[in-house]
Amino acid sequence: MRSMEEARIGVYVCWCGNNIAKMVDVELVTELIGKLPHVVVSKNYKYMCSDPGQELIAEDILEHNLNRVVVAACSPRIHELTFRKVLEKSGLNPYLFEMANIREQDSWVHDNREAATRKAVELVAGAISRVQYHEPLDKRSVGINPATLVIGGGVAGMSAALEVANAGREVYLLEKTEQLGGMVSHFDLTFPYLYDADKMLEVMIRRTINHPHIKVFYNTTISEVHGYIGNFETTIQSDSNQEQTLTFGNIIVATGLRPFDASRVGQYGYGRLPNVITSVEFEDLLRTGQVRTKEGNIPQNIAIIHCVGSRNTEFHEYCSRTCCQVALKFANQLRSLLPDSNIYDLYADMRAFGKGCEELYTATSKKEIIFMMFDQQHELPQIIKSVAPGDPPMLIFFREKISGLGLEIPADMIILMVGMEAHPDVKDIAHAVGISICSNAFFIEKHPKLDPVATTTSGVYIVGNCQGPKGIPDSVAQAKAAAARVLATINQGSVHVEVTTAEVNETLCCGCQTCIMVCPYTAIHYDREKKVSVVNEVLCKGCGTCGSTCPTGAIRSKHFTDQQILSQIDGLMKMALKIE
Amino acid sequence: MNNRVNPDLPRELREFGIRDWNECYHCGTCTAICPLTAQGFLFPRKTIRLMQMGLKDHLSTCVEPWLCYYCGECSEQCPRNANPGELMMSLRRYLTSLYDWTGLSKKFYTSKVWELAFIIIFAILVVLTFIFVLPPLDTTLTPQGGVKVNSFAPFHIIEYFDWAMAIVVAGLLVSNILRMYYRVVWQGTSNKVGLLDHIREFWHLIYNFVVQPKFSKCEDKSYWLYHWLLMSGYTIMFILIVVFLPWFQTEKIHPPWHLQRALGYYATIGLLIGLTAAIIGRLKKQEFKFQFSHVSDWLFLVMLTLTVITGILIHLFRVNGMPWATYVSYIAHMAILVPMILIEVPFSKWSHLAYRPFAVYFARLQKSAMTKTA
Ligand SMILES: Cc1cc2nc3c(=O)[nH]c(=O)nc-3n(C[C@H](O)[C@H](O)[C@H](O)COP(=O)(O)OP(=O)(O)OC[C@H]3O[C@@H](n4cnc5c(N)ncnc54)[C@H](O)[C@@H]3O)c2cc1C
Ligand code: SF4
Ligand code: SF4
Ligand code: SF4
Ligand code: SF4
Ligand code: SF4
Repeated sequence: MRSMEEARIGVYVCWCGNNIAKMVDVELVTELIGKLPHVVVSKNYKYMCSDPGQELIAEDILEHNLNRVVVAACSPRIHELTFRKVLEKSGLNPYLFEMANIREQDSWVHDNREAATRKAVELVAGAISRVQYHEPLDKRSVGINPATLVIGGGVAGMSAALEVANAGREVYLLEKTEQLGGMVSHFDLTFPYLYDADKMLEVMIRRTINHPHIKVFYNTTISEVHGYIGNFETTIQSDSNQEQTLTFGNIIVATGLRPFDASRVGQYGYGRLPNVITSVEFEDLLRTGQVRTKEGNIPQNIAIIHCVGSRNTEFHEYCSRTCCQVALKFANQLRSLLPDSNIYDLYADMRAFGKGCEELYTATSKKEIIFMMFDQQHELPQIIKSVAPGDPPMLIFFREKISGLGLEIPADMIILMVGMEAHPDVKDIAHAVGISICSNAFFIEKHPKLDPVATTTSGVYIVGNCQGPKGIPDSVAQAKAAAARVLATINQGSVHVEVTTAEVNETLCCGCQTCIMVCPYTAIHYDREKKVSVVNEVLCKGCGTCGSTCPTGAIRSKHFTDQQILSQIDGLMKMALKIE
Repeated sequence: MNNRVNPDLPRELREFGIRDWNECYHCGTCTAICPLTAQGFLFPRKTIRLMQMGLKDHLSTCVEPWLCYYCGECSEQCPRNANPGELMMSLRRYLTSLYDWTGLSKKFYTSKVWELAFIIIFAILVVLTFIFVLPPLDTTLTPQGGVKVNSFAPFHIIEYFDWAMAIVVAGLLVSNILRMYYRVVWQGTSNKVGLLDHIREFWHLIYNFVVQPKFSKCEDKSYWLYHWLLMSGYTIMFILIVVFLPWFQTEKIHPPWHLQRALGYYATIGLLIGLTAAIIGRLKKQEFKFQFSHVSDWLFLVMLTLTVITGILIHLFRVNGMPWATYVSYIAHMAILVPMILIEVPFSKWSHLAYRPFAVYFARLQKSAMTKTA
């Protein structure tokens, strides 16, 4: 559907400093492209994305009355928005723009300058051919429901809830168990400063429960969420088994992780040997104020074994990130409680990073803790019940890595530093809120570095351990970051939504509903009266999956129409043949 | 061999000068930087680990502490200030006490009272011997104007003393070295070492004893020179007194370039330079190896310095014909020298002089046993 007026295209080839120019003859590309029909200006410049580069385009639009622009530069993921804004400022619809990627797809991946230059010409020709079929698209925005749903009532969930509620916004906090606090409610002290966990947690729980803007639902979880950013809706089964419908504009997922099941590591004898306990059980023991064996004796030899279930391809390949520091915390507490005991710490690597943690390690090593190293990949220690008279009840056999010796350690009590792993229902949660999980079953963030608490679904955030194992400070920091994002969205009152969505041509649709099955964002529903599928434009991300699946060709993806894509291929191939 | 981790041992080792035995977190920097560590004998990190885990049996078969010449480079580079060089030094003290069957070495290292009492008792014994046993002093001078030392301390009597002392000291030292051999070579290697290997590797012992080449591997070459001067001076003096006393302690005053006086001067100057360097180093504490001084380090330095000074005084008073002063300094000299040799040679610092070259020799034997296994 070529627009009525004659296309007047400006083409700009970027050097990207030397990134493109060293492999692509940009002068030649500019010259050849300038000869194509409808190309009014063809220029090259050192950095198109720089201010002078942008001004160059803006001036040309006015001077040459351009109505289409093509920039041949880096990936559109990096600068498409930059150039669209230039068009907008110059009075053109931002979608009348196309980018040819001659860096990632050309100069960076080839080593023949001549061939790379030819490829650049072809890619730009394709873009010129395509841009002639671009249509102006209008921005759309939707209103925001100011309430927020927080799933999970651990330190992360509560921190997020309090932050949002303190700004005067409603929060619904769902907690699967009958109490708030999550993992931290087991702890006695917290690393690295050995603060009392209870004191911290109690205040947080009290504030959460008493907050006028927070409504806590215990023994509750979610099964299905409908809607999209600003307008979500779910039905929950509350305590009294009554169904209740909640509506909210944003979701913060803070479901945490659970401890690894230590009985899976056979040679540690967990479950068989009564005095082999997990770190979580040991926290509970510490809270009683007395460290005793199951038989009620004071343990003389206490061993701590790291990396149980972590950093081993048989269980979990990842590092659970806090257990080393928890082990140091334990060693310190043990030394205070039992000054004359022998404390052995078997580690695979000591990972005491982070503020205050290396200092904790150094301080701990001054307390006569015997540190030893084992091979976590190839030779896990073996715990056996000792039978010899006069021996302590258990012996640990292991190969000490630095000395290379096979050694034994006597033990009355052994603490297994269990790793953290995903809850069994993590897939259901991910499906319900429309986010993904990685191979370790942690929720995936939108960008691991630049957008670590958002997800690919607008309005859904992940905070705390459910995003990956971490300590309390990091969990809380993420929670507050997500809360800030949520509050910013609420304050805007509305959000822009994607306009490059799919649309169904009702006369062509046969009602087969294939598209509904394939849409990863549940953006399509079936209109029973009209017997056709309908795309919810707010939910649709424009991924194009439905368009390529629809058997009747009823679905058109805006900005990715068949015509646009075919003309791009056409332009590219024609140029390729011409150069031959 | 006992393979059970034993936390009591590192606690015990505190008495041998080990401070923060647990500071090391095994990054390995020290082993990487050490100029003397070698394939098959990796130290100091591995030795430190054995110590931390209290593996007494394994430690007692270890030669590594003796292969370290305490250049201090590892301590300078250690990111955790664990001071590995000093840990190795402390382990040498511990090993010395393990080799010693009399138990005195341990007593001297771990108890100042024992050590001082031993010195004082022997000093008094020496003084009493001079007063009551030896002939009365003769204040007349020789025709050259020198003091008649041999009338007061006849060399044939002193020589007997020297011999007796040498035999006792050597007996103790040799028996301790045999115990070291038993641990390092018999217990420390799974393969037995043949007689031929013993003979083939023997020159290492001689070479290392005479040249002390390992010191020169340290970055600071002056350290090797000072140590060598001190050691050669001490050895020459020891041999002169014990073996060649009749030739050394003469009433005739030879010209200064005569071999007797030349050797004496060389030994004295060597001792003085070495001692001055060590004392200044320990006082300044700028270099790591001198930062932590055990009581035994100071005691040894002080006694040796006093021995040298009184020795010089004897010489000066004697050639200048001052009988009283000569005799007093002679008694003082002996009162310091005798307990020093009795403590240091078999039980303490100077036994290291013997253990070190033997350790190199034993390490060669271990190595030949290892290559046999391979
Ligand atoms: C033994 C041990 C000791 C530790 N010690 C320390 C320490 O000293 N210092 C430190 O900084 N860190 C420590 N940690 C780490 C600490 O536990 C975590 O950083 C912290 O718990 C993370 O908080 P969270 O809110 O993300 O997750 P969690 O504490 O796991 O809380 C998650 C909450 O979500 C709820 N939930 C789960 N699934 C659902 C669902 N489907 N629907 C509704 N609710 C759900 C859970 O019931 C729970 O209440 C320790 C960890 C262990 C294992
Ligand atoms: S934090 Fe330490 S104990 Fe935990 S998995 Fe990582 S390395 Fe192992
Ligand atoms: S796949 Fe196409 S034809 Fe089938 S329901 Fe969807 S839009 Fe209609
Ligand atoms: S384009 Fe993607 S997100 Fe949009 S309706 Fe089709 S399949 Fe769903
Ligand atoms: S002594 Fe120091 S340098 Fe050597 S391994 Fe230990 S911490 Fe590292
Ligand atoms: S002091 Fe010198 S020789 Fe001894 S272990 Fe350290 S670096 Fe090696």
